[in-house]
Amino acid sequence: MPSEIITLQLGQCGNQIGFEFWKRLCLEHGISPTGVLEDFATDGLDRKDVFFYQADDDHYIPRAVLLDLEPRVIHTIMSSPYAKLYNPENIYLSKHGGGAGNNWASGYSQGEKLHEEVFDIIDREADGSDSLEGFVLCHSIAGGTGSGMGSYIMERLSDRFPKKLIETYSVFPNQDEISDVVVQPYNSLLTLRRLTSCADCVVVLDNTALNRIATDRLHIQNPSFTQINTLVSTIMSVSTTTLRYPSYMNNNLIGLTAPLIPTPQLHFLMTGYTPLTTDNDQTVNVRKTTVLDVMRRLLQPKNMMVSTGPDKTNHHCYISILNIIQGEVDPTQVHKSLQRIRERKLAQFIPWGPTSIQVALSRSSPYVQSSHRVSGLMLANHTSICSLFERALSQYDKLRKRGAFLDQFKREDMFKDDLTELDESREVVDCLVQEYEAATQPNYLHWSARKGET
Amino acid sequence: MTTGGQDTIRTTLKRLIEFSGANFTADDVIREFRLPKDKNSNRKLLTTLKIITKHQPSARNHLIEVNKLLEKKDPFYCLVHFLNQYAENGTTPEISKKTSPVALLSSTKISDPVTRDKVSEIKERVVQAASGGLSKSIQSGTAGGNNSTLLFPALNKSRSNSSWDFQKIDLVPFQHSNVSALPIPTQEAVLLHDLIYCLSGMRGNYIYPEEGCESDTDAIRFKISEQIHSSLRDMAYEIVPLARHYVCVQKFVQRASFTNCGQVLQALSAALRALIHDYYLLLAQLESELVAGSLTLHKMLFYIRPTLNTMDVLASAVNDICSSDLRGGQALTLLYDRINALTGDEESQKFLIQLTQLAAVPYMEILQMWIQKGVIDDPQEEFLVEDNEVIRREELPEHYSADYWEKRYTIRRERIPRFLEKVSDIILRTGKYLNVIRQCGKKVKPPQTIVLHFSPKNQNHIAAIQSAYLFASKNLLEVLLKENDLMGHLMSVKRYLLLYQGDFITQFMDACEEELDKNVDQVLPVKLENLLGLTLRLSSAKHDPYKDDLHCELLTFDLATQMSKIINNEEEYWQNNDRIDLYGLECFAFRYEVKWPVSLVLNHIAISKYQMLFRQLFYCKHVDRQLCKIWKENNAAKKFTPQAAELYRSAFALRQRMMNAIQNLEYYMMIEVIEPNWHNFIENMNKVENVDDVLVVHQDFLDLCLKNCMITDPTLLRSIVKLCNICLNFCEFIQKAQRHFLDAELSSMLCESDGDFSESEFDVSSHRQTESSLAPTDTFSERVKRFDLEFTGLLIGFLRQISDVASDNPSDRFINLVHRINFNSFYNEQLDKLCAKDAMAPHH
Repeated sequence: MPSEIITLQLGQCGNQIGFEFWKRLCLEHGISPTGVLEDFATDGLDRKDVFFYQADDDHYIPRAVLLDLEPRVIHTIMSSPYAKLYNPENIYLSKHGGGAGNNWASGYSQGEKLHEEVFDIIDREADGSDSLEGFVLCHSIAGGTGSGMGSYIMERLSDRFPKKLIETYSVFPNQDEISDVVVQPYNSLLTLRRLTSCADCVVVLDNTALNRIATDRLHIQNPSFTQINTLVSTIMSVSTTTLRYPSYMNNNLIGLTAPLIPTPQLHFLMTGYTPLTTDNDQTVNVRKTTVLDVMRRLLQPKNMMVSTGPDKTNHHCYISILNIIQGEVDPTQVHKSLQRIRERKLAQFIPWGPTSIQVALSRSSPYVQSSHRVSGLMLANHTSICSLFERALSQYDKLRKRGAFLDQFKREDMFKDDLTELDESREVVDCLVQEYEAATQPNYLHWSARKGET
Repeated sequence: MTTGGQDTIRTTLKRLIEFSGANFTADDVIREFRLPKDKNSNRKLLTTLKIITKHQPSARNHLIEVNKLLEKKDPFYCLVHFLNQYAENGTTPEISKKTSPVALLSSTKISDPVTRDKVSEIKERVVQAASGGLSKSIQSGTAGGNNSTLLFPALNKSRSNSSWDFQKIDLVPFQHSNVSALPIPTQEAVLLHDLIYCLSGMRGNYIYPEEGCESDTDAIRFKISEQIHSSLRDMAYEIVPLARHYVCVQKFVQRASFTNCGQVLQALSAALRALIHDYYLLLAQLESELVAGSLTLHKMLFYIRPTLNTMDVLASAVNDICSSDLRGGQALTLLYDRINALTGDEESQKFLIQLTQLAAVPYMEILQMWIQKGVIDDPQEEFLVEDNEVIRREELPEHYSADYWEKRYTIRRERIPRFLEKVSDIILRTGKYLNVIRQCGKKVKPPQTIVLHFSPKNQNHIAAIQSAYLFASKNLLEVLLKENDLMGHLMSVKRYLLLYQGDFITQFMDACEEELDKNVDQVLPVKLENLLGLTLRLSSAKHDPYKDDLHCELLTFDLATQMSKIINNEEEYWQNNDRIDLYGLECFAFRYEVKWPVSLVLNHIAISKYQMLFRQLFYCKHVDRQLCKIWKENNAAKKFTPQAAELYRSAFALRQRMMNAIQNLEYYMMIEVIEPNWHNFIENMNKVENVDDVLVVHQDFLDLCLKNCMITDPTLLRSIVKLCNICLNFCEFIQKAQRHFLDAELSSMLCESDGDFSESEFDVSSHRQTESSLAPTDTFSERVKRFDLEFTGLLIGFLRQISDVASDNPSDRFINLVHRINFNSFYNEQLDKLCAKDAMAPHH
């Protein structure tokens, strides 16, 4: 009866990061690509049953549902050594295989059409777990399938499983390069609306920041998807490590997320990870990693996996922080580090409520060697995340003013008659930005959103 | 002895009865006292005694004494004790009253024929002296009357006349000839004769004890007749102390021969006897020289000088042993001290060392048994370790092990010989460890048999003890740590009772929350036990080999009551005293049962300390979970319009503040108290050398945790419980309200439904006791505000209390909790306000 979590992978991006995530989990738990427990792995140290279940022959199967409207990525997965890992019944490929054409509306309506088949899978998976705690959704917000179909599934999930948590790992598009998806701003905005109203917790994975980190910090000239996805899988695996290697606290999804999210809307989390290294980079790190060191570096913006842009007015602040520290940690160091951060005011916090840096000391996999003594992941709720939404809004506004590319959307039922869906979504996202801005102020508790601002 | 004793009793009684003129016989009295105690009234017995002693002086005191004795002892014993007074002392006054003082000197005790025949008497004395061991039996034959005092050996401490000690032997008018008239050489010969008598314990003709000190041999002084020429006399005075020493030693030997004096004294007396034998040889030599006519006083003095010295040492030693009534270890201590004091006097020191070594043999044998086998073979209760329990392990009650370790074997400080003082502790532990090992069903085989000999010159015995100790402690530690996997058990305890295995706790709470939320009397322990078993088997705990040691327990108090009971018995029990008002959650604890010998460490005291920690953590965890639960339910509000969400934001913010406080409390206890202390504990455990270290280290760990988790401070503990309870009340309130606002918001998507809730809908009968007196007419936001005020007040008060406590104990970690909860200085203003208020308030 563990608190099981079902992972839903949607679209090209979602399946790619999901694939990396499962690879990573297998490695950490000593599970072979075919799902068999490796000889060196011993039971009792970890909890595999949150993310895996065991078939009759005892081999491990991920609680994962793979969904896509076009076959490319899923075919890659199915021709990889990990092909046998997944339950083939949980892989759903749209029959016509045409994809969503990077169109949110198309993805959404196809989701609607395929709804029964998809939820057959999800229901079966949910029934197969003793005490399902929630769903984790991996997708990108800019494409067609992940955003459109993802939005539809999120809406249905929150209706159908109101007591289950919905957490998403949402990949935000890279702003530094010109996208070949012209309707990306529309897609993003429409998805953001669902993320705001249907998800309980969104872990923002910002491609802009991930690429910058890869080039600037890891010195990779043209980072490949795989390299970026390795970063993502690290974040995903570490952020779930307290569930898989439980200790005193944060050993279920709700315990992990609830303290981070004070009011229902403010549920967009950013992540930071340190120290960052790649496979071919072993000489760079000569520094000593201590708890304080790690915690201090986690507070530096350059380690954040979200590109929030410079905070000119310097008014943004942390709503909450959870640091997951792994490695050889002397527990007495935790307090000292917290004290140092507090005294030096290294982090700015909201003025309207008590908040602090929570530190979860987590065990880590004995099978994966780390070159660092201590490493840390930060899950933070920071008001500056709204700059991402502001950016999405302004790009949307630019496109919308010109009325560009709207014909693609008008082809679908949802937008056939009018574009109120877009306007409503804009309003929701605008409110979200306002709320995040308000959360920097002492009177946030008595703040109310202004309507209809452009 | 008894039959002999009976006769004397009868004799004494008869005499007393005759004297008092009472109309019953001695046998009547004895029969009366022989009756079992319950058929006898003490009063009646006392009256009897009173009658027969009515003419005796000091009878009153004796009667009082007997009266006391009767309370505790067998009547017959009391009678014997009572009569003994008269056999010893009582006869003298009796005689003195009846007869003239002159007659005292010609007491019937000495058989006349013997005294008259001087030669045969001397002969007899020599025979007796030569066979010192037999002296008693001979004595009882020759001086039976004198022996009458020996009703019981134990009661016969003040005097033992089984050896010659100048007593009344001189009563015969002996000194008819006036020696002063003799020439000096003749006088010398006479004196020499007398001296030899005297040295063998007889009263000489011209040398006799000074008046008044005959009975007190320790201080016996001799007087040499004025008739002897003064030059001879002076020389003789140098010799006579030897007689005193001899008598001292001889008397000691007699006394110590009784079994109840202990093995050490017996061994000592045996050794002394051998020495006395040498002494007799010396006397015999002297005598033969005297007979040959070649002995002079000068010569004698010369011969005797070394012996005089040695005997002096011996006499003073045994004298001290006697006078302080020392036995066993104490006697050895005295001897040992004497040896050290004699540094410089090699000859005597050698004697004494030899003697001490011999005397220590039985003690060392006991010691050897103890440190090699853990067995105490100590019939005379001399050994420094005492076994307080004879019950076998299987018969012991459940909670014995804590006491077992503490109380089963104890050191009797007063029994430790000085030369073992430094190692007494490890002696105790050595045997204890061996006993534990044996009780684990293991055979203890010492690597080699050590033969323990005491020697004051070297430390061999210390080394032997230490090696035995090392062996035992290493073995037991191995038994505990390796064979019984103590660390594994401790890890299990940490997992369950300190909530380290968070996922198991979560699952267990999922399963049991419903049951535990009932009144404790309605909670079914069997159901809990079943759910626990199920959870253990289905959760990650299934790999734990010790999972079956875990059980459920419902205690009779909540933690705060339990603690205030422990800390201060007088203190008022905090409100709900009986279990009727308690919820399952407040009484619940895990119990961890382990078998011997792990129960030595995880004894019931340790487990109950773990339980205290557990209950605090468990309750906080429960509150935390409730807050998380309403968090999830509140998340429905994300679908509301942003305008409507404002209404609930203050409730959400309050919930988050509660969560912040409770979680920080949990983090503090787990991450800042338990985990670092555990870390230290494990480090210390790697260093421990014996099981006592393990116990100390473990206890320190628990005590530190208890203290820093604020369980030992009743005020803080109460504040925590209050904080928890208001959070639970709030959760309940929100859950009830949720139904309404969810309906309201989702159906209409309209805002401002503030006053919509009717009174009945909000009749949240807060079952957790709290100070909030919520008026049911309040609107939602008003009630949230009320909760807010109450919670903030409690929290600020709590933070303030911690600061106060922390300023008194800067070494403790309490203040960290304040820093945690107030990490972003959110509560600064309110704290300052409270401080200012306190400063303004007059101090009482």
